[in-house]
Amino acid sequence: MAEEIIEQEQEQVAQHFSLPDTNNEEGGEHSFLGASFGKSMMWLFLLSDAFTFTGLLLGYGAIRVKSEWWPDPNLVFNSMPFLHGKDVPLGFVTIMTTILILSSVFIVRAVQEGHRMNRKGVAIWLIWGIIGGLAFLGCQAWEWSHLIHSGMRPFYNVYYAGADGQTLKLAAAEIANHPASPGPSMFAGSFFGITGFHGLHVTIGVILNTVALIQTLLGTYHKRGHYEMVEKFGLYWHFVDLVWVFVFLFFYLI
Amino acid sequence: MEAEAQYRSQVKAVWRATIIIGIVTVFEVSLALSHFFFFYEHPKLVINVFMTLATLLKAFYIIAEFMHLQYEKRTLIITLGLPLVFLTWLIVVMLVEGKFAFSLLH
Repeated sequence: MAEEIIEQEQEQVAQHFSLPDTNNEEGGEHSFLGASFGKSMMWLFLLSDAFTFTGLLLGYGAIRVKSEWWPDPNLVFNSMPFLHGKDVPLGFVTIMTTILILSSVFIVRAVQEGHRMNRKGVAIWLIWGIIGGLAFLGCQAWEWSHLIHSGMRPFYNVYYAGADGQTLKLAAAEIANHPASPGPSMFAGSFFGITGFHGLHVTIGVILNTVALIQTLLGTYHKRGHYEMVEKFGLYWHFVDLVWVFVFLFFYLI
Repeated sequence: MEAEAQYRSQVKAVWRATIIIGIVTVFEVSLALSHFFFFYEHPKLVINVFMTLATLLKAFYIIAEFMHLQYEKRTLIITLGLPLVFLTWLIVVMLVEGKFAFSLLH
């Protein structure tokens, strides 16, 4: 008796999530513009999230163009773990970018395996994607702690302009003598704010992918008949990658 | 059999996009570093424009290939793509105009 009810409910859920075979371009009551409601609503959320990040980057850009001087990112982001004291401009952040793009590719592979209902393939690629996300978060934690140890705070920036406009760094012992930030304080504020907000997105993405992995291993999606949840979480994960491409441009390259 | 061939071509398309994004990233970083090491005395504006274009190319491949948008219905592509194009334009306009407005203040 109970099993019958469960079966009926599962059927109802499957009907709810499945799409009709034919659909007109306008969408209407069945789906939104040819994509399932789940996917299209994720798209709309991502569009609104893109507005949020655009706002943050615009604020950062406005502060930066109004400043007389801005620290050179090549001289700020020039340290590498295990290479203490070595000068490697942009080296570490290039590794971080590569990790995030590759983890995005792994999630695409998981989605593709989901289309062929290959449960094992989905699980393996999801694990790779999660490892990539965790590695990126670890790199970011290292970079943040490195900057904080050198005296950077959300409203305190140790990098200041020399006489010829070159980027100088306040020594750790000197910080106590400078209660006000020697350089543009919003250099630190915008960096911690925007990379932090992006890091929050990465954290949420890793959690979502872990949920997808658990449900894949439990066989939830296999019973449901499709792996659309992996696809929806995947969209979110690619968006995180997309935002990082712009953060990389605005904070590190330019 | 047809599904298998389709799967293979999709996998190939994704790795192709990955390689393109990788090459563009290397190009961007080498532009930034070449300015830092060789042309430090010169303004960075031209290099910034090229790096921005390269980033937009990367963004295109991420949205079209990774997020699978180029295979969706055209109405969905326009609904999502047009606001993104306007957002990019908004950033460019705000930076150019903002710079000019602040130059009047100083």
